[in-house]
Amino acid sequence: MPSDLTSLVHWILFLPLGAAALSALFLRRAGTLAAWLSTGTAFAIAGLSLLLLGQGSDVTWHVELARFGGVSLGFGYLIDANARLMLFVVSFVAAWIHLFSVGYMKEDPARGRFFAGLSIFMFSILGIVVADNLLMTFIYWELVGFSSYMLIAHYFDKDFAVAASKKAFIVNRVGDLGFILGIAMCLSLYGTLDFTALRDHAAAAKTIPVAVGALLMCGFLGKSAQFPLHVWLTDAMAGPTPVSALIHAATMVAAGVYFMARVSFLLAPDVLQFIAISGAGMAALAGLCALAQTDIKKSLAYSTLAHLGIMGCAIGLGRPDLALMHMAMHAFFKATLFLGAGSVIHGCHHEQDMRKMGGLLKKMPLTAATFIAATLSNCAVPFLAGWYSKDAIIEAAYHGGHVAIFAFLALAALATCLYSGRMLRLVFLGEANSEAAAHAHESPWTMTLPLVVLGLVYSVAGGFLASTLLPAGALQPIKPALDALAFHLTAPSTLVGLFSLVVGLFGALKFYGTVRGADALQVVSPRTYHLLEHRWMDGLYRWYVDAVQRRIAELVAFLDLLLINGVAVRWLGGGVPAVLGFLTGRSFHRGQTRAYGLWIVVGCLLLVWFLLAR
Amino acid sequence: MENTTLAHHLILAGLLFVLGLTGVLMRRNLLVVYMCLELMLAAATLALVAFSRFNRTMDGAVLVFFVITVAAAEVAVGLALIVALFRKRGTVRSDELTTLRD
Repeated sequence: MPSDLTSLVHWILFLPLGAAALSALFLRRAGTLAAWLSTGTAFAIAGLSLLLLGQGSDVTWHVELARFGGVSLGFGYLIDANARLMLFVVSFVAAWIHLFSVGYMKEDPARGRFFAGLSIFMFSILGIVVADNLLMTFIYWELVGFSSYMLIAHYFDKDFAVAASKKAFIVNRVGDLGFILGIAMCLSLYGTLDFTALRDHAAAAKTIPVAVGALLMCGFLGKSAQFPLHVWLTDAMAGPTPVSALIHAATMVAAGVYFMARVSFLLAPDVLQFIAISGAGMAALAGLCALAQTDIKKSLAYSTLAHLGIMGCAIGLGRPDLALMHMAMHAFFKATLFLGAGSVIHGCHHEQDMRKMGGLLKKMPLTAATFIAATLSNCAVPFLAGWYSKDAIIEAAYHGGHVAIFAFLALAALATCLYSGRMLRLVFLGEANSEAAAHAHESPWTMTLPLVVLGLVYSVAGGFLASTLLPAGALQPIKPALDALAFHLTAPSTLVGLFSLVVGLFGALKFYGTVRGADALQVVSPRTYHLLEHRWMDGLYRWYVDAVQRRIAELVAFLDLLLINGVAVRWLGGGVPAVLGFLTGRSFHRGQTRAYGLWIVVGCLLLVWFLLAR
Repeated sequence: MENTTLAHHLILAGLLFVLGLTGVLMRRNLLVVYMCLELMLAAATLALVAFSRFNRTMDGAVLVFFVITVAAAEVAVGLALIVALFRKRGTVRSDELTTLRD
């Protein structure tokens, strides 16, 4: 029944587009209606995706849009096991985040725009998942960039939100430049952009040029916020919290990982090596930087960076299956963490500084319980969702024989436990450190229900549910990873995990309990803290733009002024009339339009004569 | 009609074009200049449709429809400009509009 499944994919892809168009065109003033329309659509997509996941069969469908010589450009679907898993994860997480947004954005006057943005984002990300060629992927890729830009700048009257959205957009463009060059290179080398055809070409060829993989990787570096293009992600927290949860934790940043898994056959060993090392390095760095953020969302953003680094590392190790598995697990618990943070922020009357929170365990029990569960999953406590994937990747790094990568990942694991412990201690334990935290209240059901569903059900029991409840065959892509867990208990990854868990989590809980209303590390060692605040990367970029890029731009501007503006325009355009005016003894510029018209005609005639005379 | 060839059409188009051009260069009233400009455009479209006719394809003829449509819109803009100019400067004589010199 391929035709039935194809229409299913049509529905999945175009429902959100319809919802977005409807909201943007007609429901700008009817925020509540737009909110429920968008949420209903999201749940419908989640249901359809689950149906598709249950079917367990591949879908391919293609229509040609244009043909240039031997090159065919088309629109189509390529649904394989990875795509089904990704579809399900994205749509399921997104549906609950939509529901959460209904509560979170209740007071916002621009809800119509917000939910239209969420829906257009859904369309774009689902497009990336189902697309069957590089060109369509790129188009959806840019749409994702656009919707991310739009949603980060939701509070467009705030300067920092505008700056953050611009930063996200521009940094992504840098990566996308490489991406589009990579597409062009694929086209010139293989004459096709189709994933299936490309795979055949890659299988037939002995070696893949490094440049192809390296250029395509640039897109991944930008979208998945990998080093050195990771700087936009933490600033993107200027958007509303559900946006951070949906786009900047669960789905959009995972698009890069998914894309790399999709074109993994085009990645040369050198490229993989680079991704592995930079991913592991960033995981460690970002994990440590999460320790020095006072804003709860920023701290979570660094945690996302760390996990993206781990996923990138898995790709680089040649295990895209593990990367996708971690992506799926991470999507669940990180969405929960962000939504929990949103609930906390909402409850504390929009206080985001963790130092001013505290003691929320009693005031917001549901939020606290889900947040803690997700945090433990984040720390890879055995038998929780994060443990399955993260430890499998650390294990793969160990067996891959890369000492540096393994060391970085171990450091990242330790850092994860440290910042998780810090977050729990500062936000939920101890005493309230501000008026806002003292008067915190639990959030409404639209906000807590998604937390409970995503958090308790999926973060905690993700691994078990995945292997028992979901239809057989649905987990094909992560099957090897699950099997790999058989040797877990004596493995190095388990030792690393347990060590960091005990030392990190309990150490942090103890350490951050020593100081009240401030950050213990900042008090003990301000210099370390400042280093970890991670301002230097922005400084580095600023230096680069000021000292290098601006110099080049100035040089080009000078050449433009000299050659085009000076010689070509001023000298030719100004010199000729001056000579003619001198010869005829009259001023040439007298403002007579008829005279100018005459000279235009003379010029045209001269040109025609010149062309014909050759 | 059987004896008309492409050359006939092109000569007619050329004559129209030169007529328009002469008007643009000689006349001082901007309204008339503008009409002459339109005449030049009409000459060009005539040549286009003639080529299309004698090449036995409809492409040029179809394109001409678009040209005419766009030209109609452009006329509206041009006339509005002339009206605005008259309101501001009180004249539409091109030899009295010489601020381009300054």
